[in-house]
Amino acid sequence: MSESEKLLVVKDLATTFATAGGLVPAVGGVSFDLERNETLGIVGESGSGKTVLSRTIMGLQPRANVTVTGSARVNGFEVVGASEKEKRQIWGTEVAMVFQDPMTSLNPVMRIGKQIDEALRVRMGMNRAAARARAIELLELVGIPSPAQRYDAYPGQLSGGMRQRVVIATALACSPKLLMADEPTTGLDVTIQAQILNLLDELKDRLKMSVILVTHDLGVVATRTSRIVVMYAGRIVETGSTREVFYHHRMPYTRALLESSPKVSNHPHTRLATIPGRPPNLLKLAQGCSFAPRCAYATDRCHQERPELQPAAEPGHSFACWNPLPTTRGVAAP
Amino acid sequence: MSNVANEFSLLEETLLIEKPEKTEPLGILFWICVGWIGVNVLAAILANVLPMKNPLFEDYNAINVGPGLHHLFGTDDLGRDIFSRVVFGSRVSIAVGVGAMVIGFGVGAPLGMLAAYKRGRFDTVLTTFMYVLLAFPAIIATIAVLSFWTPRALLKIIVVIGLASVPLVYRVIRTATLNVATKDYIIAAKVQGATDRRILIKELLPNIAPIGVSFLLIGIATVITLEGALAFLGLSVNPPTPSWGNMINEARTVLAQNPWLVIFPSLALCLFLLCLNFIGDRLRTHFDVTEVKL
Repeated sequence: MSESEKLLVVKDLATTFATAGGLVPAVGGVSFDLERNETLGIVGESGSGKTVLSRTIMGLQPRANVTVTGSARVNGFEVVGASEKEKRQIWGTEVAMVFQDPMTSLNPVMRIGKQIDEALRVRMGMNRAAARARAIELLELVGIPSPAQRYDAYPGQLSGGMRQRVVIATALACSPKLLMADEPTTGLDVTIQAQILNLLDELKDRLKMSVILVTHDLGVVATRTSRIVVMYAGRIVETGSTREVFYHHRMPYTRALLESSPKVSNHPHTRLATIPGRPPNLLKLAQGCSFAPRCAYATDRCHQERPELQPAAEPGHSFACWNPLPTTRGVAAP
Repeated sequence: MSNVANEFSLLEETLLIEKPEKTEPLGILFWICVGWIGVNVLAAILANVLPMKNPLFEDYNAINVGPGLHHLFGTDDLGRDIFSRVVFGSRVSIAVGVGAMVIGFGVGAPLGMLAAYKRGRFDTVLTTFMYVLLAFPAIIATIAVLSFWTPRALLKIIVVIGLASVPLVYRVIRTATLNVATKDYIIAAKVQGATDRRILIKELLPNIAPIGVSFLLIGIATVITLEGALAFLGLSVNPPTPSWGNMINEARTVLAQNPWLVIFPSLALCLFLLCLNFIGDRLRTHFDVTEVKL
């Protein structure tokens, strides 16, 4: 498939914040792409730059003193360097976003139906009645019971799971081709999490869109993504198909991340594995591998030279490590 | 119908509040206050046509008469009817209060919202400028301007107090907007393609309106007292035109002999302000849809 047909092409994307303490490379040169109708997971711990990355791709600069370099093309539209007015052309219709906390991502003083049909009327030029009908349709699509009555409810009258469904409905209003979900289930309890993730999965297929799931929770991406990008200190350290990353990962950080998530198969009272140390201070990034100080396999080379992404056995799978874990290819996957 | 919807338990549905329109009543005290403000405003507007004595007519046969049937609130040392002076005086007080706040909000509120939403250099420069103005006592500024801008007229007083209130309104509205502007739903509206103007009017304004309205009412009350203070210093409308402030001012020298000359305009002022404050406070809690009322 040629590059131009891909929905999202990110090349050497870097976001740097100028702070009082110096330059903070929150995203330090990231490249990946996304096919149509594909779900990509971006995984990393807090401060790994995954949220900044997703907002940079959206073209949302948090405030002044930010420099963005590289390129991010959404369906052929170059986001980097585009003015707010230009980006308004793709916001909603090409890309849309589902936010982390459904408690703050809906306007508390606006009826939920109005929040959906605002976009329909402004962007799609629908009249009041058509927009209302479409908004109710969208509410039904995301699984809100008796949507016609809920249309007039305020966000404060809905539960967290319901609100997140409404947030998804608002994002879907103008049929975006790419849905960016930044920790869409973090604010919800576990049973609702599964419902929301299943909903996103179902909507992806039904509406033929692509989804980027940004999360710290590997359980979230395990069954619902086709590919995963693992981020650490603003860089991609491993990427590949979900299966490869889960079962044949080569980067020690990926393994550490996997080991530190609880499993149902664990014996009761099993101590949860943790990654020693803390995420690096982005102000004082070492010249070598950012994970080296916390890595059990680190050598002198790791501290001095930064490893670049190198291809692994399976096409599409690559990792950035000088001392990768031995390949488990050929060993039967569980 | 999405099959995910079927997973929904009945419980979740019953947890939804069924009638979103049902709100608790505002309470009798609220309506009494609204009624009182209404009576005052109506009386001020209709003062000319109401069957009342001329507030400027000096009846030398009825000097310093105490409150009674003929003169409800009594008369002053020139034989003027206090009741009609209190009613006519409310015209000045209400006009100054409302007029100045219209100017204050008309200038301060849009600037405050814009600064909080836009941030950056525009915000820094404007906020610094406003804080410099705030540091300068408003009463001194108004006294200085009104002393030199003669002859004094109601409109000038309204404009001067109105402009003096701009930084106060600016600060309150900017802070309120700042709280809202960083919320995710503003960013959400933006990435749905909403223009800045739309976000300001449709998203931000309804969120800060409750704060705005209560501050507006309390602001009117504050300005009315400020007019009283100016009148007390002889800087409000020229006598013999009555205002609540200058009536209290004129009568303070005879407070011991004829206390009703001070009591009635003070009472009118107090009740008016009390009602305004109460209404403002009640409205703010009432229109707070963000809290689920259990």
